[in-house]
Amino acid sequence: MRANPRFVGGRILRNVGHGIFYRMEVAVPDRVEFVPGQFAMVSGWPGNDPLLPRPLAIFRSGGTRVSGTVEFVYKVVGRGTALLSGLHEGDPLSITLPLGNGFRLDDPDRTWWLAGGGVGFSTVFPAGMALSQGRSDFEMFLGARTREQLPPRDWTPGGNVPGRVHLCTDDGTAGFHGTVGAALRARLEALKPPEAGRLSILACGPREMLREIAETAGSRGVPAQVSLENHMACGFGVCWGCVTEVREGDGTAYRRVCKEGPVFDAREVVW
Amino acid sequence: MVTPDLTARVGSLLLKNPVMSASGTFGYGLEFAPFYDISRLGAVIVKGLSLLPTRGNAPQRIVETPAGMLNAIGLQNIGVERFIGEVAPRLEDAGAVFVANIYGRTEEEYEEVARRLSAVPALAAVELNVSCPNVREGGIAFGSTAKGLYGLTRRVRAATAKPLWVKLSPNVTDIGEMARAAEDSGADAVSLVNTLLGMAVDPRTRRPRLGNVTGGLSGPAIKPVALRMVWEACKAVKIPVIGIGGIRSAEDALEFLLVGAAAVQVGTANFRNPNACIEIVEGIRDFLAREGIRGVKEYRGSFLP
Repeated sequence: MRANPRFVGGRILRNVGHGIFYRMEVAVPDRVEFVPGQFAMVSGWPGNDPLLPRPLAIFRSGGTRVSGTVEFVYKVVGRGTALLSGLHEGDPLSITLPLGNGFRLDDPDRTWWLAGGGVGFSTVFPAGMALSQGRSDFEMFLGARTREQLPPRDWTPGGNVPGRVHLCTDDGTAGFHGTVGAALRARLEALKPPEAGRLSILACGPREMLREIAETAGSRGVPAQVSLENHMACGFGVCWGCVTEVREGDGTAYRRVCKEGPVFDAREVVW
Repeated sequence: MVTPDLTARVGSLLLKNPVMSASGTFGYGLEFAPFYDISRLGAVIVKGLSLLPTRGNAPQRIVETPAGMLNAIGLQNIGVERFIGEVAPRLEDAGAVFVANIYGRTEEEYEEVARRLSAVPALAAVELNVSCPNVREGGIAFGSTAKGLYGLTRRVRAATAKPLWVKLSPNVTDIGEMARAAEDSGADAVSLVNTLLGMAVDPRTRRPRLGNVTGGLSGPAIKPVALRMVWEACKAVKIPVIGIGGIRSAEDALEFLLVGAAAVQVGTANFRNPNACIEIVEGIRDFLAREGIRGVKEYRGSFLP
C-alpha cells in the first residue's frame, strides 16, 4: 500500500558533511512510511530565490507512532543544495513526502544487484536495507570518481559482509578501475545462465551509467529497475516539467519522472 | 469580530472565495486531494485541454530563474474526452467548482472542445487559452492581435452557453485593447496574465536550456508586471478581471483585488507549497477580519491611486 503524499513542517536535528556528501536528519510530525526509491521535495531557505524545492531521495525514516524522523543524503550541486548545506540544527524545513514510485522488491526468490553511481547510492541503500531485513541476497556496486568520493563505509547496508560490496573508481584509487557499468558487465558476463536467470538489478546514478546498465541487463534478459532524476518544479505530478521519453505501444510518450517514476523498468526508457 | 464575507462574483458565478488555482499548475485538481479539500477553493482550473491527447514538448521543459521559472511544457494533456469521462465526475464528487481551460490548433477545434464541454452540467466555466507562448497551436496566434482574439472568441461564444473567460497574454503592446476585444466579442470575464515569454541559455554548451528554446516565465518575478496589466485591464473593461501572476501569499492576492480584480488565480506557488491556495484563502480572511472589512466585495477595487 502506498502512503499519500503530505506537506509537513520539519526541524533539522543534524546536517553534517562527510566528504562530498551531507547527511541530514529532520524531525517531522508523524512517522514516515516509504518504499525505497521514493523521494521528498525539500526547501527551507528563506525568500524566493531559488524558488523551487529540491528533490531528495528518502534515505531512512524512524521514530515512534507520535513523532517521526527522516534522513536525506545529498551532494552540493547548485544553489539549492548549497543553501541546504548551510542550515543548522533547529532550522525549519518544508517537506512534501513520500513521492513517486519506489523499487519493486516483492519477489523473494531473486538475487539482487544494487548499483549506485555518485550520490545515487542514497537511493539504492534503502533498498539494500529492506532486502537485508527480508533476508534476500544482494550485492552492491558503488562507483565514484575517486576513493574520497565513495560513500562512507559505515553507511553501507551489508558493508561488512565480504564480497557483498564492489567498489569502483574512475581513477582506480579504490576497487575496480572503471565505471559501475563496466564492473557490473564484467561480473554479469561471468555468471552462468541459471544464476543470471535469478538476478534482478536496481540502479541509480548518472544517466550514462543507467543507460549502460540497461543495455547490459537487456542483453542477458535480466530485469533492471532504474531510478531517474530530472529538474522538477512540483514533484507530485502537476507541472509536467520532469518528463522522460518511454516506449508505449508502437511509439513513445512522455512520462513524469516524479509520478510514473522515478523508478522505471529499464526496457521502457528511451535512452 | 464578524467573520468576513469571502464570496466573490465573476459574472453570473458566485464563488465561495476569490482564490482559484491557475491552469497548468494544478494538474486536473485531484492531485491536490491528499493535501486538502479542493472544494474549499473558489474554483479549480484544470490543465489546458485539447480535442485530442497531446504529447507535449521535448525535454528540457523547465528552468529555474531568479525568483521564478521558465516552462515550455507544450500543453501535454489527456484530451477533452478523457477529461469528460474520467476526471470531471471525480471533480464533481469532490464537490469542487471547476473550470476547463481549453485550446485548439484551429478555430474549429476550439469550438469543438467548447461544445463537448457544454455537455458537462457541473462545469462552471470555460477559460479560453489564447496565450500559451510555447506552442504555435496554443492560441497565441489568436491571442496576439485584437482582431484574432475577437474572431475566435465570437466563434467559441456561439458554441457554448457556459460562462466564457478569456486568458490573456502579457506579450502584447496594449493589454487594455486585448481586454476590450474579449469584452466586445461576448466574453464573460478576462483572466490575466499568462506567462511572459523568456529564454535561458548555457554559456558553456552554447545551447538553449529549454528543449523549446523559449518558454514562459512565471513566479514572483513577474508579479509587478502582472499587477500593472491587471490594473490597466480593470480600467479598460466592465466585465470582471481575474488577476494572475506571481501570487504566493494572501498579501499578493489582496494587491490584485485592490486594483480591481474580481478574483485571483494562484499558479507557480502551488509547486513550492501544495497548500498555497488554501493558505491564501485563510490569509485573506484573517486580513479582512483584522482590518475590520466586511468582505471581499467591499475591499476589491478600493485602490487609492
